[in-house]
Amino acid sequence: MFMLRPEIEPRPRSAWEALDLGVLLARRHAALLMGTWTIVSLPLFVMLTALFWRQPTAAILLFWWLKPLLERLPLYILSRTLLGETPTPGQSLKALPGQLRKQWFAALTSRRLNARRSFELPVTQLEGLGGRERKRRLAILNRQDGRKAFWLTLAGMHLEAMLWMGLLTLLYVLLPQPLVDTLNWQGLLEQNDSNWLWMEHLSNLCYALVLIVWEPIYVACGFSLYLNQRTNLEGWDIEWVFRRLAQRLSGASGMLLAVALLTTTVANTAKAAEPNVHPPVYAQSLTPGQAKEQIRELLTRPPFQNRETVTRWRFTDQSDSQKDVPDRADLAKPSEWQNSLEYFAQLLEIGLRSALIILSTALLWYQRGWLRNVTANRRQPTEPRPDPNIRYDQIALPAPLPDDIAQAAERLWNEQPRQALGLLYRGMLERIGLPFKAAHTEAEILQHIATLQRPELQRFAETLIEHWQALAYGHRALPAMLGTRLCQDFRALFPDQSS
Amino acid sequence: MLSPQLDNRHAVETPEGIELLLTPAGLLPRALAFAVDLGIRGAILGLLILVPGLLDRFGLGLAMILVFMLQWLYMVLFEVLNQGRTPGKQWLGLQVIQDDGSPVGWASSLTRNLLRMVDLLPFGYFFGVLSCLWHPSFKRLGDLAAGTLVIHQGRPIKRAAPTQLIAQAPLFVLLQEEKLALLDFAERYADFSQERRRELAGILAASLRTTPDKAEQQLLAIAHGLLGRA
Repeated sequence: MFMLRPEIEPRPRSAWEALDLGVLLARRHAALLMGTWTIVSLPLFVMLTALFWRQPTAAILLFWWLKPLLERLPLYILSRTLLGETPTPGQSLKALPGQLRKQWFAALTSRRLNARRSFELPVTQLEGLGGRERKRRLAILNRQDGRKAFWLTLAGMHLEAMLWMGLLTLLYVLLPQPLVDTLNWQGLLEQNDSNWLWMEHLSNLCYALVLIVWEPIYVACGFSLYLNQRTNLEGWDIEWVFRRLAQRLSGASGMLLAVALLTTTVANTAKAAEPNVHPPVYAQSLTPGQAKEQIRELLTRPPFQNRETVTRWRFTDQSDSQKDVPDRADLAKPSEWQNSLEYFAQLLEIGLRSALIILSTALLWYQRGWLRNVTANRRQPTEPRPDPNIRYDQIALPAPLPDDIAQAAERLWNEQPRQALGLLYRGMLERIGLPFKAAHTEAEILQHIATLQRPELQRFAETLIEHWQALAYGHRALPAMLGTRLCQDFRALFPDQSS
Repeated sequence: MLSPQLDNRHAVETPEGIELLLTPAGLLPRALAFAVDLGIRGAILGLLILVPGLLDRFGLGLAMILVFMLQWLYMVLFEVLNQGRTPGKQWLGLQVIQDDGSPVGWASSLTRNLLRMVDLLPFGYFFGVLSCLWHPSFKRLGDLAAGTLVIHQGRPIKRAAPTQLIAQAPLFVLLQEEKLALLDFAERYADFSQERRRELAGILAASLRTTPDKAEQQLLAIAHGLLGRA
């Protein structure tokens, strides 16, 4: 069985890994496998249910008994896909009757309860062996991995049961509560009541549904186990590489061969010249215990551990020698079983309680940052936030401006910087004598001032407006010396009315 | 058209650029490991109920505490303190690790074991089984949440038995894969039947310019040389 590119990476695996690979194999072809299984198994189930409508148990038992025959379909599909010829659902269904014919009677009688069914099916179905030949073949194959096929079947039985009950529970959970309340559970137990037959058939259907999921996986696992056993016994992986190597070499030119010969002889002489003293690293075998011992020994040596002896004077402690007598000897005395038990219980209780306290303290300590955040969040809203809109409107300037604006501003500066700065601003606007309107923005005012061609005034206005914006809109604090400087400049710029 | 080759091995690259090959463990070995653990826990549980039960109400309380601890900590403690292996997993050669190959820690172990409750739903690990069957790395929901992986532990390397052969250099340049196949041939030589050995060696007989009978010995000698033995 040589394939140019096998679908499964050829590699000897442990039996467990082979089982895992079977799951992956079934997963890759899940749609095809589950689809065809449904097409074949559900009509059979419906037929049996119709035939044995009065005996639901017989119906499911017969369905279960016929299962090994149905398993030949997934196996046929898997064997074809492995050869790179994935069949269509139609092709697989057409091939089924031919597959069923091989030793069908034995499969349903003497081998029905064989726990290694999935592992042995490929021998019957794909190798087509029967009788003594089959027995001999199985004896060889069973030597290593056969036991795992038993575990596969055992685990499979439990899985089927668990999935089946899981599905039933899921259905029950989905029932609306009023319906559950009115259900007459006692009727379920009475055998004669034919009203409950549908319920048993429903539970049978759940089993058939579970098989749609599980059976392809079961067959694929058994098949994978079989393939792995053959890979191990026959070295399929080796054969595959050898064949490719032979193919490669038959196409290689003589030149390449010559170069190869040259290099290998050089390598050989080099190897011969070197005395073989040390065994190669991989030839040394160390058990974990030995390795640990060596590591521990290394760790006691200087680079890791430096020991030094220090000698110095110290006071002798007299109190140490006097405290020999235990205080609570009476408590520890095991005079009565009940007493010591109670003592132990108290000890345990103390231990548990202190563990609780320590744990909660530790929790609080480690979460202190979070705690701070929580308390901070609580506190913040109580602090009134400065509302820019309200403050903005509250600037109440005296309607007629005072004569000495600079002086008034200086007086106000320390207590109410906003008022003072506003006063200066407005004073400047009035003294300039330009026809400003309420709609003018700060930038427009600056543009107008720039047209006056007075650099001194312009610089003053820029400083003033910049700080005004910072204070009025940004609520930023003003520099300390700003007040006196602005007032001085104001006096210098508009000397006429300050006196 | 060609789908990738099916393999149960995953390569994980470490920050150092080393490729680790991990083999995730599927449902069957994991289910069996769980069954073993379940049995062990059941036995301990029986002892716990029986022995302190003699001590009246105090014993009952003590048993309750111990049962609780057993239920929730059995898996976690073993996984964290015993290299990701509970007794059941150890029996079957399984190990829990993080997705990136590092050892499993407290947080991930707790997460994956607490989420067992979800895998259990609605009955008997229904969701867990389906998730485990469907996921390419066989993860149940707890593993998905915790970012953990259950893998097969590596098997000890089987070495070829020392022979009396004289090492021989190959007549042609061998690729890495081909060297490995040669070593495999030497290591598993004893497993093959006599006919099969000849058949395998026969494939390369023409390339070695010998008869199939001699090719067998020659291949072993080359493998011997590849191992670095004199």
